[in-house]
Amino acid sequence: MTALLEIRDLHASVGDKPILKGINLTINTGEVHAIMGPNGSGKSTMSYVLAGRDGYKVTGGDILMKGESLLEMEPDERARAGMFLAFQYPVELPGVGGMSFLRAAVNARRVEAGEEEIDQLGFVKIVREKAKLLGISDDMLKRAVNVGFSGGEKKRYEILQMALLEPSMAVLDETDSGLDVDALRIVSEGVNLLRDPGRAMLVITHYQRLLNHIVPDQVHILAGGKIRKSGGKELALEVEESGYAGIDDAA
Amino acid sequence: MPGSMMLPDLSAVTPEGGVRAAALARWQEQGWPGHRAEAWRYTRLDRLDDLDLAPVTGLAGTASGPADDAARGIGAHVLRFVNGVFDPAGLSDLPEGMTIVDLGSDEAALSRLADLAPAGHPVSDLSLAVMSGGILIDITGAVDAPLMVIFEGDDSKASAHPAMLVRLAEGASLQLAEWHQSSVGLAAPLIGYDIGAGARLEQVKVQAEGAEVAHLAATGVALSDGASVAGFSLSTGAALARLETHVTMQGEGADCQLSAIYMGRGTQHQDITTYMDHAVANCTSNQIIRGVLDDSARGVYQGRVHVAPDAQKTDGQQMSRALLLSRKAEADAKPELEIYADDVVCAHGATVGELDATQMFYLTSRGIPETIARAMLIEAFLIDTIETIENATLAGLLRPVAEAWLAGSEGA
Ligand SMILES: Nc1ncnc2c1ncn2[C@@H]1O[C@H](COP(=O)(O)OP(=O)(O)OP(=O)(O)O)[C@@H](O)[C@H]1O
Ligand SMILES: [Mg+2]
Repeated sequence: MTALLEIRDLHASVGDKPILKGINLTINTGEVHAIMGPNGSGKSTMSYVLAGRDGYKVTGGDILMKGESLLEMEPDERARAGMFLAFQYPVELPGVGGMSFLRAAVNARRVEAGEEEIDQLGFVKIVREKAKLLGISDDMLKRAVNVGFSGGEKKRYEILQMALLEPSMAVLDETDSGLDVDALRIVSEGVNLLRDPGRAMLVITHYQRLLNHIVPDQVHILAGGKIRKSGGKELALEVEESGYAGIDDAA
Repeated sequence: MPGSMMLPDLSAVTPEGGVRAAALARWQEQGWPGHRAEAWRYTRLDRLDDLDLAPVTGLAGTASGPADDAARGIGAHVLRFVNGVFDPAGLSDLPEGMTIVDLGSDEAALSRLADLAPAGHPVSDLSLAVMSGGILIDITGAVDAPLMVIFEGDDSKASAHPAMLVRLAEGASLQLAEWHQSSVGLAAPLIGYDIGAGARLEQVKVQAEGAEVAHLAATGVALSDGASVAGFSLSTGAALARLETHVTMQGEGADCQLSAIYMGRGTQHQDITTYMDHAVANCTSNQIIRGVLDDSARGVYQGRVHVAPDAQKTDGQQMSRALLLSRKAEADAKPELEIYADDVVCAHGATVGELDATQMFYLTSRGIPETIARAMLIEAFLIDTIETIENATLAGLLRPVAEAWLAGSEGA
């Protein structure tokens, strides 16, 4: 097994405020890891730092994807290298048509790989197929990106993007929040379809329920900017029962 | 008192009495607006100082630019001004319902154009006085084919003064594109649209002049009972451009949509100035203005809506938004409502903003390169404005111009 993602003693600040205080985490190819933790513990911050968002400053440590440091790479370069972040709060893009957005993303990756850009017609067909599996209507595909989508629809749309981009490292930030029971199952199936020996996933969630569908290889508890505890999938059950009270969050 | 600006050499111009002589006298009295002129506070003409220009009287020079292809693409009848001088080649095979005659020999038409022209605008007087081969276009019915008027010419020593009055008779309709693509020193088109009762004008203007051009346009519009105008300007060219349009609602039930997009980079200066005069009751007007500015470019929108005491039930709207792509770019907006009637619905608004960092992150996090992501967001910012154009043929002319501008910003 080889490490797909290695986070080494990662420290990061937002503005002047240190949020991540020494994260160590290795995810091997083919694995799915889950991260749980109290509100404000730094989970989304970590996902943004992985994706390279402006204003999230790495003050120490390193992030390696397939052995290469991501720190000097821009968000678009990281994405084309295989990083994908499903946002906790997907962003609305009024005036940006869904299809041209999806096609621009897919083509950016194809160009990077030295492939031909995909043509409009063939692309629409592929999108429709994948959208159908996720219960996304044609009408939604025609609209501007995320504009007028319900909370659950936005989350499905994130997974559709993941399915189209076929990332090697997918970070899913609370993809389960806002989903009804059926949608949770549909989205989980979509995610499971992408489980692959060449791919790794990091699933951020508050609820054990998601992990019944997407069964993780490891579960980590993030609190106060550090990973406080790691274990198997039973750790999620423990949290569900007794909360984070027992987790030592002193540095 | 003439201002300190460039004075075109008028020695060859001698309008013989009448409306044009009066205009020349006014011009010689007023000259360019001085530094204290409030209407020109944001747009200084200082950069015209060093120009040594003269009006052109003969037809000469070669044509170039994308307008001809665009005209062919929509099957338009083409009229042409070269260095400000009308090319009579366009007079053959006119579409049915359209007649064109010499403007200079029709005192009544000259007088009407003088009335429609923006009062106090230097070009209103100057171009009326020194025009050479201006035209009077009469539309008497529904003209099917679009009309494209191309303003070109490559004489950088020329001040170009094309003049045109377009009259739509009662119930007539016309689709018209103005396409400005010259490389003259000063482009000073004077254009009047006189819209008869129940008539409809659908008009777009492309201002894609060469990089050194000063484009100062004076346009006047009058709408009679139940007339409607849908006008749209896209201003991307020139070193300095001011598109000034004065509209008079002179008949009840008239409707005027008057929107514009300006785009500037480098040290370009783009000015959209409008005056919407609701002189009578029951008329509607709506203006949507969008500006995109990069580098050290500057944009100005001045929009005044005047509602006369008797103009009850007026609906007058204007909304301008500018997008700044660089810290050195600057946008000024001066929307003004002057309302003297009490039963009206009027609103105005103006915003200036930057590209949304969260939206940029979302796009780039999908692997879309920054330049493409920027272009997508700029296009999104403009798109709802272009979508207000009902006439798909005319709207189709604008997209490639906007896209060409966006493509030019990549790697800049
Ligand atoms: N832009 C910012 N400016 C200041 N503080 C910030 C900013 N963004 C995040 N923080 C702070 O960083 C901490 C971690 O936030 P983060 O969003 O990473 O938490 P989280 O673990 O994802 O929480 P949740 O479970 O509620 O989604 C919080 O205290 C938050 O207030
Ligand atoms: Mg979060």
